[in-house]
Amino acid sequence: MAESAAWVLALDHQLRAAVGERELAHLIEAPILLDVPRSPPYCRQVLVWNDTVLPAMDLAAWLRGQLTQRQEPLAGVFAYQTRPGADPEYGALLLSAIPTRTRVDDDQVCALPKQPRRWQTLAISCFQQGDQPIPILDLPHIFSGGLL
Amino acid sequence: MNRPSQVTALADLQAIRAFAVLTLDGRKWLLPQAEIQALESLLDIDREVRIPRSIGAVGFAGEWWPVYCLSGELRILSDPPDNRRACPLLDNGADRFGLICDQVEALTVTPRLLALPACMTLPDSPIQALALLNDELGCVTTTERLAALIAAALENADG
Repeated sequence: MAESAAWVLALDHQLRAAVGERELAHLIEAPILLDVPRSPPYCRQVLVWNDTVLPAMDLAAWLRGQLTQRQEPLAGVFAYQTRPGADPEYGALLLSAIPTRTRVDDDQVCALPKQPRRWQTLAISCFQQGDQPIPILDLPHIFSGGLL
Repeated sequence: MNRPSQVTALADLQAIRAFAVLTLDGRKWLLPQAEIQALESLLDIDREVRIPRSIGAVGFAGEWWPVYCLSGELRILSDPPDNRRACPLLDNGADRFGLICDQVEALTVTPRLLALPACMTLPDSPIQALALLNDELGCVTTTERLAALIAAALENADG
């Protein structure tokens, strides 16, 4: 039975998702977000990180189809590869709380939540934590334009 | 990951040394400085020359140049906001028009252009790159992209 480590992310007050342990690169409290006109409503801003700009995506807004009000903005910077061996690329997700680390066994695999329906597009798998299914995010798909 | 055509467009823009900053409703849009043919006053706009969706026209070099008013989000406006004070005439050899702006200034240094993230690039986006200007973000576009955007707005209005 394989076990691996993951980060559980609070996308808003209710929605949870996970990424692999090595995919979370950095956390930024109260990030400075810069507006980009004519961009998708769920990804209207960028943040400056390591001398470049990263998209700051609100996945909860995309999942729910409406914008999220955030009291204390927090952004996670995530690394992903678009193909094996490629240099890592980075993107940011807006979060509602500090991520929590967990360990996941193969026998925790479960079906994706039925709601919101858009989980099917975002997730590569899902595991059960307590009574809650936690979808695992497909970061290359999310940051390469797969939600457009 | 950015698409190959985006990478090519970015490489072409990175070869340009001089950019002008056109401020629209406080938002900064960068265009190649070579595409600014002249800078006219708003007083030079003849409001009686009617070209669809324009606010008038400027007579320059023996021709009428339609003048458009765009919001900071590049939506066509029919009435200029009070803060518009300058009217650069844009010319890329194929497209010629004026665009009233809050302010027009030349950048004294060549900006470092950054790719617009793929997940933010809508199919009709006029943004070809981003540039950090101190603590602000500038969006890089071209006269060609602005002309296409205006033409699309005209088509939609006709439809």
